[in-house]
Amino acid sequence: MEFTMGGFLAILGAATASMAGIGSAWGVAIAGMAAGGVIAEDPKKFGPTLMLQALPGTQGIYGLLIAFIIMNKIGVLGGSIAPLTTAQGLMFLAASLPSGITGTVSAVWQGKVAATGVQLVGKRPEEIAKAMVYAAMVETYAVLALLASFLMVNGIQI
Amino acid sequence: MTIVNMNKVNIIGLDSIKTELIKRIMDLGVIEVSSQDPKLTDPEWISYVKKDGNEDEVFSLDVKISQVNEVLNSLEKYDTSKRPLFITRKPITSDEFKKALDKNDGVSESVAKVLELNKSLSELCSEENKIEAAILSLKPWVKYDIPLNMTETKYTNIIMGTIPGIADIDELKSELFKTSDRCFLDVIDSDKDQYYCSFICLSDEKEDILELFKQYGFSPVTFKELSGTAAENIMQYENSLKDISAKRDTVENSIRELVTFKEEIQLYHDHLTIERDKNKILSNILKTDTTFYIEGWVPEVCKEKVQEVLEEYQCWYDFKEPEEDEDFPILLKNNSFSEPFDSITELYSLPATSNIDPTAVMAPFYVLFFGMMLGDVGYGLMFSLGCYIILKKFDIEGTFGKMLKVFFWGGLSTIFWGIMYGSWFGDGLVVGARHLFNINLPLTYVWVDPLKEPMTVLLVSFVMGLVHLFVGMGMSAYMSIRDGHLNDALMDVGLWYLFIIGPILWIAGDMIIAGSPLPVIGKWVTIASAIGLVLTQGRAKPNIVGKLTSGVLSLYGITGYLGDVLSYSRLLALGLATGVISSVLSLIGSMGSGIAGKIMFVLVFTFGHILNFAINGLGSFVHSARLQYVEFFGKFYEGGGDPFAPFTKKTKYIKFKEEI
Repeated sequence: MEFTMGGFLAILGAATASMAGIGSAWGVAIAGMAAGGVIAEDPKKFGPTLMLQALPGTQGIYGLLIAFIIMNKIGVLGGSIAPLTTAQGLMFLAASLPSGITGTVSAVWQGKVAATGVQLVGKRPEEIAKAMVYAAMVETYAVLALLASFLMVNGIQI
Repeated sequence: MTIVNMNKVNIIGLDSIKTELIKRIMDLGVIEVSSQDPKLTDPEWISYVKKDGNEDEVFSLDVKISQVNEVLNSLEKYDTSKRPLFITRKPITSDEFKKALDKNDGVSESVAKVLELNKSLSELCSEENKIEAAILSLKPWVKYDIPLNMTETKYTNIIMGTIPGIADIDELKSELFKTSDRCFLDVIDSDKDQYYCSFICLSDEKEDILELFKQYGFSPVTFKELSGTAAENIMQYENSLKDISAKRDTVENSIRELVTFKEEIQLYHDHLTIERDKNKILSNILKTDTTFYIEGWVPEVCKEKVQEVLEEYQCWYDFKEPEEDEDFPILLKNNSFSEPFDSITELYSLPATSNIDPTAVMAPFYVLFFGMMLGDVGYGLMFSLGCYIILKKFDIEGTFGKMLKVFFWGGLSTIFWGIMYGSWFGDGLVVGARHLFNINLPLTYVWVDPLKEPMTVLLVSFVMGLVHLFVGMGMSAYMSIRDGHLNDALMDVGLWYLFIIGPILWIAGDMIIAGSPLPVIGKWVTIASAIGLVLTQGRAKPNIVGKLTSGVLSLYGITGYLGDVLSYSRLLALGLATGVISSVLSLIGSMGSGIAGKIMFVLVFTFGHILNFAINGLGSFVHSARLQYVEFFGKFYEGGGDPFAPFTKKTKYIKFKEEI
């Protein structure tokens, strides 16, 4: 396989997008730490707290999703990378940024909201839906970033 | 569909029928008995009435209930019979209930027995702990062969104690040698914290030596109450531990034998709860020497049933419509499709009394959006079939039961969108058939493949969002008209309709019908509605400048609508997430070849799709709720109503069948 700047940049784009996983790991950890405290009091709340803990995990999945679409498009998965110009590579890199950056930051903050949600569930388990909607408010921007990245990647001609 | 109309009911009756009437009201279960505390401070009332109530009885019943709960919890621990997946209440008629209660008058004895056994169990436990602690404290001295209670002989003293591990024991020994040569120091054992030692010295040198030892942090240890060596004592203790564990086994077996009474005890629990509630409600009732007074809310549809009972007991009563602006408890009434969705309304907040029940209008949108975001035939089947089977097999009540019904409908919609998108476990079914059996399944999309033509789906998402928002604004207009404010409906909703549709036609009219006059129409509609908004939106302001400024500023509201509509892009985005993850799974699964490759595909397919189903199912639930709560409810809804809480039998284990 021949090294091209374009190919490198496109793969760098896929890597950048999937780095939203950093934020997700962080966010899930924040929520998980709060959940541990609640479980110490009442182990029966494992289900609802786990649901809240899972919410900041989606950004990592969205990132992976964009990474896969880029890889699929440039042919990494098929084993032969399409000959990309540097400009095309840069475009892939740029398209990955919304998913990578917004995903990372929003996951951390969503983790914090989810952590307060976990505490809410600790005191008032019947209010879980409200806690989830608060967390989903943050996720909106990760969804929008996913969409932006997706449309950009989709629109790049190779 | 609607908020149920409530009537306020006032009842006055003779004391002699009070208990009987309360029982009947409880059986009816349609009256919310309001608290009368405000009247007790009202000088007009206070001279005639005082508060009824039976706090002592309530308290003693509460104590009994908590005892029964404790008993049920401990029986639960020892119950080895297979537990059902979902706990449901057992249906029973009130006759059966009464008979069952009469029959097992021994139930309070079983309760007392279990309590007694529990108590001895916890005593045994604490004794066990005590002994274990004692063993722990003796362990370091196990090599010490002088009896523990021997602290002196005729001329010598024997002193046991600990020295912190950081102290220099060799230095201590040499110092000791300098002080006296007639002292014997024995280091018996050590752990990471301290040395365990004893020394024997002449009685008259004891003080000096002890002084020296204390410099090294020595602290004496005594076992005054023990005789014999440490090892002997430990042996004894271990024997008594064995005794205790044998005793514990017998006690636990006795509890196990009582598990058969669990059902009776559950009945007893519910009986106690009913009795407690009957007494508790008294504190919401006012009384004079010979009469009582009840005030409460009753749904208008149940008026006649209540009337019948009140006639029978020859009470004085009247029904009143709530006054304007008077808050009444909220009960929602919906048809069988939208009824489960009131749980989603409830999760947000029940409507304020002046508002409207949004459930019926919200339900179809909820189902539509849920399906669009999940959009997969396989996942839809999992949801619908799963919920259907659970609902068939178990009689699940409350919010959880309603949620299952919501997911059942959501699943159907998911199947629909799956067919539209051509998504059967993503492309998993097609790839799987090819990879495993070499069959080409002709499964393709009916409408569009969102992965290939995302813009089409995005546009449809926006249009759906616009419809959703317009319906929400329509609800607001409906309420204004209902309350007689036609102007508000026209100016606050009608003009906004125009101001949203106008720009869309202006910009996109040419794309909708090429060469049509739509853009021109759009332009003028936009201008006219903008002028309309500037002129009307500040109408609450006192002076002309304020009116105009507010009017102009109100045009910024368009950005809010823009944001709202864009928010519906999640309908596409979450649908894409399901689809792309599925295709990633297929890709990974079909990497191998041969038998191993087939096994790998099955494994990746099974676990991957379970995970994808769980995460995206959760996402679809939360995000379609969000679209209702934030975008839709934001346009018209005002929550904050108190739920209608009728005085009824709040049983935990049994459910009374409606008697015919």
